[in-house]
Amino acid sequence: MKDLVRQKLSINVEIMDMLNKQIEKEAVSSSAYLAMASWCDHNGLENSANFFYEQSAEEREHMLKIFKFINDNGGTAYAPEVKSVMHEFNSLEEVFEAALDQEIEITQSIHSLVQKCRKLNDFTSEYFLQWFVNEQMEEEQLMRRVLELFDLMGDEPLKYIDDRIPGVREE
Amino acid sequence: MNTLYKAHNFTSFQCDRSRAFYIDFKHKLVKLSFCQLLAFREQVKNIDLDAHFSGKNKHGVEILVLCNRSHIFIFDTYECIALKDLMKGTFAMLELNSLLILEV
Repeated sequence: MKDLVRQKLSINVEIMDMLNKQIEKEAVSSSAYLAMASWCDHNGLENSANFFYEQSAEEREHMLKIFKFINDNGGTAYAPEVKSVMHEFNSLEEVFEAALDQEIEITQSIHSLVQKCRKLNDFTSEYFLQWFVNEQMEEEQLMRRVLELFDLMGDEPLKYIDDRIPGVREE
Repeated sequence: MNTLYKAHNFTSFQCDRSRAFYIDFKHKLVKLSFCQLLAFREQVKNIDLDAHFSGKNKHGVEILVLCNRSHIFIFDTYECIALKDLMKGTFAMLELNSLLILEV
């Protein structure tokens, strides 16, 4: 019997399912960043708002990258459904802490995907995911640097911290 | 045609000559491309069986549309359970076939 699946699909079916789950996570992440941007905007923190608008666009880009990868390799990518995301926060520090937690969750999810690729010998997907491993490392570092600002400038007015946000991304 | 898996009244096949898959729903034989088989698998995966037993799905039926809306099916709870089994079994057999070909 011919291996029709392999003829049509370059990646493992189980990995395709996991990548579809990852699409959902990236979509939720993008939406959560939008909520954070909105909170910052309402509280007059313009630079932080812009920071999260940019983060939201990046997460959407990640989602599309995976989406295209699945379809290009013969699989079927599914448009994600995003349920409710958190819109209420106590402080800007809490917003960035939530952002870091979110990035950690995404990192863990990417790592388990890579682990599964190795187990199933899906080298195509593993190679593709290497970009995400690196990207997640950078995303976590970015959020940590912002949180360090709060440690260093804890007593300063929020406006001073907000003024420093664009600089963190440029570092 | 090679039989892949049989569950209740449903049977899945692979046809090497037409490079397609077939599902025999007893009253109807449906030809599916791999993409369509994947789409059908996703629909079956999304069936919430718990809803059939908790009363959330009041009528106990699922309406599935296949192959770019060429076919429409209404399945009852028992058939939905069989469909889930059919999809799991079919893809397990396809994976096993891939492994065997790799080994050879």
